[in-house]
Amino acid sequence: MAISAAPAATRPGTEPTPAPKRARRWPPRVVLARTIIALLLAGYAVVSLYPFLWMVSAAFKTQQEVVAGGHLIPRDPTLSTLVDTWNRLHFFDYFVNSLQVTVATTLGVVVIYSAASYAFAVLHFPGRVALYRLFVALLFVPGVVTLLPIVLLENRLAILGTHLGLVLPFINGTAPFAILLLTNAFRAIPAELRDSARVDGAGELRIFARVYLPLARPALVTIALLTAIPTWNEYLLTRVSLNDPATYTLPIALQALKSSQVVQYNSLMAGALIVVIPVVIGFLAAQRYFVNGLTGAIKG
Amino acid sequence: MTTDVPSSLGAVTVTRGRTGRGSGRRRYQGREVAWAYAFVAPAIILFAVMGVYTLFWGLQLSFVRWNGLTPTWIWVGVQNYLDLLWASPVFSPPVRAAATNTVWVMIAAPLLTVVISFPLALALNRTRRFVGLLRSVYFVPYITTGIAVYLAWQYVLEPNGAINTLLGALGLGSLAQPQGWLGNPDTALPTLIMIMVWSAVPVATLLYLTGLQTIDPALTEAAQIDGAGWWRVNLSVVWPLLRGITAVIVLLNLRDALQGFQIFLIMTDGGPGDHTNVLGLQTYRLAFQSELAPTLGLASALGWMLFVAALVVAVVNFRVTRER
Repeated sequence: MAISAAPAATRPGTEPTPAPKRARRWPPRVVLARTIIALLLAGYAVVSLYPFLWMVSAAFKTQQEVVAGGHLIPRDPTLSTLVDTWNRLHFFDYFVNSLQVTVATTLGVVVIYSAASYAFAVLHFPGRVALYRLFVALLFVPGVVTLLPIVLLENRLAILGTHLGLVLPFINGTAPFAILLLTNAFRAIPAELRDSARVDGAGELRIFARVYLPLARPALVTIALLTAIPTWNEYLLTRVSLNDPATYTLPIALQALKSSQVVQYNSLMAGALIVVIPVVIGFLAAQRYFVNGLTGAIKG
Repeated sequence: MTTDVPSSLGAVTVTRGRTGRGSGRRRYQGREVAWAYAFVAPAIILFAVMGVYTLFWGLQLSFVRWNGLTPTWIWVGVQNYLDLLWASPVFSPPVRAAATNTVWVMIAAPLLTVVISFPLALALNRTRRFVGLLRSVYFVPYITTGIAVYLAWQYVLEPNGAINTLLGALGLGSLAQPQGWLGNPDTALPTLIMIMVWSAVPVATLLYLTGLQTIDPALTEAAQIDGAGWWRVNLSVVWPLLRGITAVIVLLNLRDALQGFQIFLIMTDGGPGDHTNVLGLQTYRLAFQSELAPTLGLASALGWMLFVAALVVAVVNFRVTRER
């Protein structure tokens, strides 16, 4: 019995029972290999976080200490830099602007493209394949090609410099990816569900809202995050189209903070921290969906 | 398991059957068609305004000379393209220099991304502890890529910033850059490439990790029984099996290297001199930083050339992934 149990526990890949694993003595080679792997992983974790550690560090330092430089842990940690940046530099207003643009864009993307993807995935209509391909092909249009025409167009429509002028192109820019991901998700839902809902007398809108949307929630969360994060960080179109400081989003406020004076890195890093924190929180909150959805999206 | 849990991962496998189920039905049903168009309409209307219109306008613009302010433009045909490629002594040299830098980025960034993320994924796949935590930590560079983190890098790369201090503390002070890593023309481009790689590693690692988890352990086991060591197994068995994923990673990064320029705009604005100017940034400059010079057409033409290059990359991408 002992003979037959031993190979099952040593075989990598097959799940061994955890109990004998702990009792076992690992040979030195394995210990060495594990140590190297652990060091490698920890090392890259530090590399990943390196600029953030300094961002956080500087945000809690005074200007003098930042200029003196050199050490990660603030000697005399202060909240005043962060508070000062938030208040004096009107970061609250920029925060609200960013939030408005991000929420509007994300809502628009989820509503518009979940509807379109539903049609592409389950409904039959002339032009379905061609339209679907058209939208997905747009993945390869570089942003810089459309940047200039968008600015000229919005100037003509008199929405240049408004938040609407940001939200519309942002939504449209997410179309290929959102449609790709959501159509795949809707296609994976068994047709039997739709048929039985139909038999029960549900109309198209009801099937979409009550059957398909709830079942596709992981994909919807993923696409919402994949829209919200880049929108929150968006810089290019925002930079070329916003002129009025009252409309600035956080990235532009940061840029303005950088160019307005001799660079005060403590203040700048406090501002950067304010930009980054919501993204990190949002990511951690929805990480499970995000990681799976992202892999799925890229594989598809 | 795959049918009742419509995770987006499971969804992807269904993509291949492009007509989907129920394709036996040939005739369209009036009500269904009407509903379908109603569902698709918002997307199409938005695309017609923001997409089709801007794309064609951009194309038209690439054949004219215009500064954006005068009421009329001058039709110059393909002259803009010729000027950018070789004809103009003013415009073609910076484009050529930017193209050289772009090529360096296109070679180095995908290569380094693969070289770093593959071993990282192997290591991450071996460990059972802290996988969730590590995955979150490794993902931070990807989710925060943007001006905030670029400014943080800038701060770290300053002449008396953290990198130089760290090198001094390690006794490698001779490697420190007294002008700052972005101030020295020799180190600026490699430094930016490293930061691009730093941002790209998370997704690449994640993709490799997904790939590793799909490999049948019986395969690596068989190799081990045949006497292959750790290196041999990974090089001769695992690496070839993940070739498709490598191709995807390389091509995604190629596309970014070709088109992305935000990091260049924010961190160096092409400097020092023009040592970190890339094609995307050059396009942006022609479009938005040319004051009153009539270079909007040139900007459009350069953008369209980038588009065509990206399409070539896309076709290769399609071919490679289809063969998988």
